Amino acid sequence: MTLQNTGTDHRDGTDDEPNGREKITDLETAIADYVHDGSSVAFGGMGGRDPEAAAREIVRQKKTGLTVLDDARTTLLDIMVGAGCVDEYVGSWVGTSLISQGHNIRNAVENEIPHHLQMRDVSNFGSSLMFLAGAMDVPFVPTRSMLGTDIPEHNDALEIIDDPFGSGDKLTLVPAERPDVAIIHVQRCDPLGNAQIHGNVVNDHLKARAAEHTIITCEEIVSTDEIRKTPELTRIPFYTVDAVAEVPFGSHPWHCYGRYYADLPFYREYGLRSQNREDFLEWLEEWIIPHEDYLEKIGADRLETLERMEHEINAPAEVRS
Amino acid sequence: MSEEIPAVDDPEHPERPGIEHKEATDSSNPLGVDRPNETAEDYTLTELLAVTAAHEIADHETAFIGVGMSLMSGVLAKYTHAPNCQLVTESGYIGSVPPGVVQSISDSVLGVDALVATDQCEIFTDNQRGAFDVGIIGAGQIDSRGNTNSTVVIGDQSYDRPKVRLPGSGGSNDIMTSCGRTVVMMRQKRRAFTTDVDYKTAPGHLEYPGHREELGFVGKGPCAVITDMAVFGFDDDGEMVLESTHPDVPVEDVRDEVQWELRVADEVTTTREPTRAEVAMLRTIDPADVVLRGTDYVYEVGFEEWSETVLEHWRQLQSIQDE
Repeated sequence: MTLQNTGTDHRDGTDDEPNGREKITDLETAIADYVHDGSSVAFGGMGGRDPEAAAREIVRQKKTGLTVLDDARTTLLDIMVGAGCVDEYVGSWVGTSLISQGHNIRNAVENEIPHHLQMRDVSNFGSSLMFLAGAMDVPFVPTRSMLGTDIPEHNDALEIIDDPFGSGDKLTLVPAERPDVAIIHVQRCDPLGNAQIHGNVVNDHLKARAAEHTIITCEEIVSTDEIRKTPELTRIPFYTVDAVAEVPFGSHPWHCYGRYYADLPFYREYGLRSQNREDFLEWLEEWIIPHEDYLEKIGADRLETLERMEHEINAPAEVRS
Repeated sequence: MSEEIPAVDDPEHPERPGIEHKEATDSSNPLGVDRPNETAEDYTLTELLAVTAAHEIADHETAFIGVGMSLMSGVLAKYTHAPNCQLVTESGYIGSVPPGVVQSISDSVLGVDALVATDQCEIFTDNQRGAFDVGIIGAGQIDSRGNTNSTVVIGDQSYDRPKVRLPGSGGSNDIMTSCGRTVVMMRQKRRAFTTDVDYKTAPGHLEYPGHREELGFVGKGPCAVITDMAVFGFDDDGEMVLESTHPDVPVEDVRDEVQWELRVADEVTTTREPTRAEVAMLRTIDPADVVLRGTDYVYEVGFEEWSETVLEHWRQLQSIQDE
């Protein structure tokens, strides 16, 4: 099958506008435009630089029937699952970090509360490769991971083959995933969608490319001239991006490398209050609010302290030495 | 601190390093502890585990680590007997020098002074090629051949609706497949040391000797299992063998917590106890006992006090690093 090249990287024909246009919007509009009931969604970051504000906005807009295509995921998935937004998870790891469990995820998988969450496991490399295959627009990418284990037994999408070139090796074929939308939070982005990532990248460059549509939320929108000064930091190019929204503290309560430290007391409180259904529903009532109101509720002093912590801990090496 | 980059493509993986008491050097006693080589007068079981796992990492090795105990062990190794080891995390950092406990796999402190900040696909590409010497993972269940389960406890239910949903593979499958050798850290419980894991998440020595080689794995698989009671190795058949028990733990007590007929070394030793220098360093790495004692009081104190405490710990560790 030959696909007509439309000059965009969309295959669903929804967007024939040239890639080089400006894409600035706000968070509410970006989620309303690109995340629909039943969409498949990939989120960026991994216990750091996660698009937490965007996920809360998805909950606030009461999206349902979502499939989350993922590597490893913490709070934002637990909140979305508890709120009833997610039907299926495809990825390698769910939980939290050191100080609480993913109570809503367990409750959904084990007890169908609020409804059943279907799990489809892959390994961590498997999750990278499903996005790599999607980004390459090939049906699959092979790996040695997952051979000899039960991961392919319970994930029908994975296939085991003998190397067709005759080495005698067995290989696991990881099928391409092309999420309807990828949502990636970064430190800086220009109006065209050139997204710069400081610190580790996880799978964000692949998710943006694999997805039909990509929303960038960023701490700061900067000019295209500013991007040109450090092109090596641009891991997501404009032609993969559909919407750019400036969302300061968009990863709170997680870290945003170079900007603010993780708000662990907030995170711990979530861990405690998500243990019990009634308490969790109260937490939702309290914290699923427009992002500006959320930040106001956290308080400017507290946000400033998180910035100060990150700046001291993560000052550029040359300054410290 | 001198930083030497070890060769990454050395096909000959060294044997597990020894854990004998060695003469302390400046680099293995950065806190300047008095009588650093002597056995610590007081230490907790968790501290013993962290030290035992740390000694599975030799100097100049590249170690693939996760959060929690695995990372504590890696950091301890770097600050004591293995100053030239390099730590790798799946989120994309190589050569991290984290000043203490990290809260997540993308914690900013992993990036501070790291050698490389990259992406996950690249880390696991290097892992699959055999670039990393040793990995440390955790698991919920293990069988006699070191196959582990960290996905689901099925019980009499199903994968879709299991008795207990665990976090999933994370990187443990990839690490066990391809790392030079892998250390597994577990709780010693009869229900966890099982004849048949509910779900095989990461490949140990699989079903029979040579099975891994048949599948073309570059990694040698599990080399050690460290629990709260004992340390196990693996024999040439790929079967788990009891090597040492922790102080005051009889061999019979370990047998009682294993479902299969346990193989026991001809001479079961007592696990080497931590030294004064090692315990002092561990408590400096985790001053709030987040990992060592599983406490979270540091988060109960209120936001302001918490933030001051974190920064104080940071400054203390920085001064050690700078020396």
